[in-house]
Amino acid sequence: MSSSHQTEQSHHPTFQQYVLVAIILFAITIVEFFAIFPDPNQIGAAKLPVLTILSAIKFAIVIMFYMHLKFDDRMFTVFFLAGLALAFLVGIAVLAMFTALDGEPRAFASAHAVPYAKGEHGGHGVEHIKPTAVPIPTVPPAVTTPTESAAPDVTATTAPEQAAEPSGGSGAGASIDIGTDGDALKFSTEALSAETGSQVTVNFNNGSSVNQHNWVLVQNGTKDAVATDGTAAGPGAAWVKPGDERVIVSSGLLNPGGSEAVTFTAPAAGTYQFVCTFPGHNFTMFGDFTVN
Amino acid sequence: MAHAAEHAIEETTTGLNHRKMLMWVFLGSDCMFFAALVATYMVYRGQSLTGPYPIDIIDVPITTISTFVLLCSSFAMVQALSATNRDDQRGIRIWLLATAVLGAIFIGFQIYEFNHFKNLGLTLGTNLFGATFFTLTGFHGAHVTVGIIWLLGMLVVAMKGRLGPASSLDVELVGLYWHFVDIVWIIIFTLLYLIAGFDAGPAALPGG
Repeated sequence: MSSSHQTEQSHHPTFQQYVLVAIILFAITIVEFFAIFPDPNQIGAAKLPVLTILSAIKFAIVIMFYMHLKFDDRMFTVFFLAGLALAFLVGIAVLAMFTALDGEPRAFASAHAVPYAKGEHGGHGVEHIKPTAVPIPTVPPAVTTPTESAAPDVTATTAPEQAAEPSGGSGAGASIDIGTDGDALKFSTEALSAETGSQVTVNFNNGSSVNQHNWVLVQNGTKDAVATDGTAAGPGAAWVKPGDERVIVSSGLLNPGGSEAVTFTAPAAGTYQFVCTFPGHNFTMFGDFTVN
Repeated sequence: MAHAAEHAIEETTTGLNHRKMLMWVFLGSDCMFFAALVATYMVYRGQSLTGPYPIDIIDVPITTISTFVLLCSSFAMVQALSATNRDDQRGIRIWLLATAVLGAIFIGFQIYEFNHFKNLGLTLGTNLFGATFFTLTGFHGAHVTVGIIWLLGMLVVAMKGRLGPASSLDVELVGLYWHFVDIVWIIIFTLLYLIAGFDAGPAALPGG
């Protein structure tokens, strides 16, 4: 329609009006920013309504002036607002399905979340107040000799001296090498053995190129329970619950390529399990440790 | 051009230009697309089982700057259309280029942000926050990228001197798309950064 087009052209805002609109948009953005900065809660309960209204005003200004809906044929407004209304319904429907009709949606997350410690490089710029700062317990590594070297055989050199230490046991020391099955969530072997009372050094080399792993010796049949509690204890505890009585000995949490020698006195004769307690790994990454 | 001029005097059953109507219908449907992604983000808000959580990595000041950049690009876009209607050839090229460059700067901020988040341990697969955040902002970034390509295409046409009052609609359509991308960001910025950007882990529910 030539007539409608001409009407539209003649009603386009002028340069000054466009500048004014831009200044209003900038000003609203600045107000929004200082409503939550530096303290995100400085305007309290007003935050949600204030930010929502300011954002809606910006939205309306852009579609009315920059997109010319104010000056254009009403049908365009109808098309767009119909889509927008449906969009709101989509949003409300999704929120209703999973929130209103499903009780407290965060109950599961609250019950199962693992503690998270922000890394040293986290969050530049603003110092946020972190209400959930949970002190992460650190596990004193039992009798372990961590060597973060990427070369796995270096650790073996420390083993003979330690093994030579008399431990009151009968047998001579034994050194056991164990790694991972490449990047798979498996150890390189599913069976290890030792003589009771002997000094055992397990040289665990994390051969994975992507995953963190640990090596934890536990009472027979308890690997999954130990791993579940380890998950709750979090990465700061190397995924092992501090003071877990089912744990006989454990390595630290090794990064890909890392290795560690774990030295301990073999417990009473019987069958034990070793497992990686990194969340989820315990289902495939375990084996039997037999003490003769 | 003759082709575009035909569009301007085209008689249609609705009395509205079909290309423009199609664009508005598309934008209306795109609202639903983003609404689904925003709703998904809000449903999963505060439900991540491990960090990083928004409060650990969201940087509101930097994103405020990139929001300004996008607002500036919208202003440049209306100037490009205005120059087209005035047949100001130099103005058309400058403002189209400015719009595309500002859009590219916005994308640059987003690439920096995504990369920074990745270095802090947040990826698409880290937690629900990462999955919903990257999906929503990533699709928005994809829209911006499409807009930049479109703008650069129009710039090529403008360099050949083929844009003018007769092809005003061609510039107006890319403008509508570009402003739509801007208003989607207005919503995302408010919800994901200003309101949900300070969410901590599920132990402490957001105060927003």
